[in-house]
Amino acid sequence: MKTKALWLQGVSCNGNSHSFLNYEGLRELLSKVEFLYHPLLPSRLRIEDLADFTEDIDILVIEGAIKKEGFLRGKKEFFRLFQKLKKKAKYIVAVGNCASFGGVFKEYEADLTGVGYSKGEKIADFENLINVPGCPAHPEWIGSVLSLLCEGCEPELDELSRPAEIYSYTVHAGCLRNEYFEWKVDSATFGSKEGCLFYQQGCQAPYTGGNCNKILWNGVSSKTRAGMPCIGCTEPGFPSRDLFKTKTYMGIPARMPKGVPKRAYLTLTGVAKSFKIDRLNNPLMPKGPGCEKEES
Amino acid sequence: MRVDILQKIEGEAFLRYRFKKGRIEHVKIEFPHYRGVEEIMRGRPAEDAVAIAPRVCGICGHSHLIAAAEALENAAGVTPPLKARYIRNVTLGCELIQNHIKWLYLVILPLLKRMGFREVPFFEAIDKSATAGKIIAIFGGQYPHTSYAVLGGVCSDPTLLEIQKAKLFAKEIEDFFHSEVMEEIERFSEFKDSRGILKEIYIFLKHKELLDIGRAHDRFLNLREGTKILGLKRVSAKLRYVSTAPSGIGYAKNALYKGKYFEVGPLARRIHTPFVKDLHRRYKDGLFTRIAARVYEIKILLSQLKETLKKIEPQGDSFVKTDSLAEGTGEAVVEAPRGSLIHRVKIKKGKIERYEIITPTQFNLSNGTSLNPGPAQKAVIGLRDRSEAELVFRSFDICSVCTTH
Repeated sequence: MKTKALWLQGVSCNGNSHSFLNYEGLRELLSKVEFLYHPLLPSRLRIEDLADFTEDIDILVIEGAIKKEGFLRGKKEFFRLFQKLKKKAKYIVAVGNCASFGGVFKEYEADLTGVGYSKGEKIADFENLINVPGCPAHPEWIGSVLSLLCEGCEPELDELSRPAEIYSYTVHAGCLRNEYFEWKVDSATFGSKEGCLFYQQGCQAPYTGGNCNKILWNGVSSKTRAGMPCIGCTEPGFPSRDLFKTKTYMGIPARMPKGVPKRAYLTLTGVAKSFKIDRLNNPLMPKGPGCEKEES
Repeated sequence: MRVDILQKIEGEAFLRYRFKKGRIEHVKIEFPHYRGVEEIMRGRPAEDAVAIAPRVCGICGHSHLIAAAEALENAAGVTPPLKARYIRNVTLGCELIQNHIKWLYLVILPLLKRMGFREVPFFEAIDKSATAGKIIAIFGGQYPHTSYAVLGGVCSDPTLLEIQKAKLFAKEIEDFFHSEVMEEIERFSEFKDSRGILKEIYIFLKHKELLDIGRAHDRFLNLREGTKILGLKRVSAKLRYVSTAPSGIGYAKNALYKGKYFEVGPLARRIHTPFVKDLHRRYKDGLFTRIAARVYEIKILLSQLKETLKKIEPQGDSFVKTDSLAEGTGEAVVEAPRGSLIHRVKIKKGKIERYEIITPTQFNLSNGTSLNPGPAQKAVIGLRDRSEAELVFRSFDICSVCTTH
């Protein structure tokens, strides 16, 4: 028998639903899981049917922030549907930063929360909650967690109820700009292959959990690989301010890489900066004109 | 009064129908939520706009990104380098492609199935919409929700081989499109000697005599191009004549041009192509013309995608550095999947003082009166059957989350 899942949205942009559609194992997963309701995929139930729905379910997927009143799904208050369904569910999977911690729309409505957390603060004790934050969550994070749960197997969780094997990595791990980080060569501007984005452009990858640079996005790249700073979307503090500028004290990034004492960082920086590595201070490769030939 | 929930349209909307003698006399469209994106922008550093904007919408957030970047550039008086503009065109086009494919297979075909059409498997189509996302990720790092377009250009500096990879992905989508959805044809000719899903839909709707239901005002806006189209005549249109007004129901505002309701979207953008013109001649701005215009746009976008990819030169600049943006007002209009999307920004002391977003669905689903209805309202008035009305609504490709930004 198929695993019964139900995907319910709180205050959301639909980004996680769409991210999930990019999951490479979608077809295989849907042969194991039936979404009784999903915001995009065809489903047995219509949104209004959730009002009278009383069956037990295996997995309740929540996307979007929790709003206690004045927010309808179908003709029912979302919060009442949520209260009812969470009691019926063996597991609750909060996908995206909004469902995990409150997310971007909490900036407007402070009383929005995640399922079990408000920012980093625990507000409810769920033993069966798995947070899969990200804005959006990576399709593979959603897909592989659901697939694991289908087999009755649970991932190890970190202190924010996130699967540890995803979020123990920092986004920095696997970034193509690591050499520039090591030798403290910053990226002078956007739009270049060279330089690390941690020093000026606001990159949060060294202290943001996520294996983005291990498994890559859409199978091809990642934000930092494409020259965009990580904006910390898997963490409870998302979205912080001034996302494209590094806050510094006396030229040193205000926030240290995860778990690195400031003294250790400063010592290494001093050593690294006392050498100028030519290769890292020159263009990585020559650039040609491309394929469109001028008519001569 | 009969209330239906229009669902799986990036959220939901309530349709409050009023019937008279078995026909729809009027319908009020209610979008029940509001998420405060414009308020979230307020007080943030101007540059943050490109990180917040995509979060308006999971399916067309990239259009919001490009609109935000261009609004900032307009305020700063900066033109991004040609290479950055080409790259943005590539990624924006890919967002439209993935949207249109998903719309056809997840929004239109399931409803047609309920009306008796054959079941069409969606996995391959979803896979190809994901392939469009891969192209965006090559240049932008990820899809959805990258913010790689920033004030002054784009963050990425793609290599020739990466561009080559994008071309191969584009070809994959194109092969799927021409083998499954529609063959490469330039004229309608009732799809003579051609095959594909779009032709099947044509035959189905023809059999049900639904081809020309759903006619709206037959007037269109393509604000990126700067035109309005009245009776197929293109006249210049200016952004400053766009205004919003309370809709009297829910949180969404109506969007109007010089006080009138206009349709935006693929039909507005493609009405001058021979294929869509043929359809318009027969079925006016009716259901099938609107559906076919969106499908046909995929073909146009794919061919533009190929051309633009060829033009990206690795040696060009992706980004031009700007002095910090302290004061200014800017606006931008982007042709998003559902039509003209407007972002307006006012910046004071480097912070966003005011931000305004007007989305295509606000134009198409404006709530007018029964005497002066909005485009989608006009399109369903007089129908008897609520599934037919639903199909007409879906032909506009409604986005609830955009409307409730």
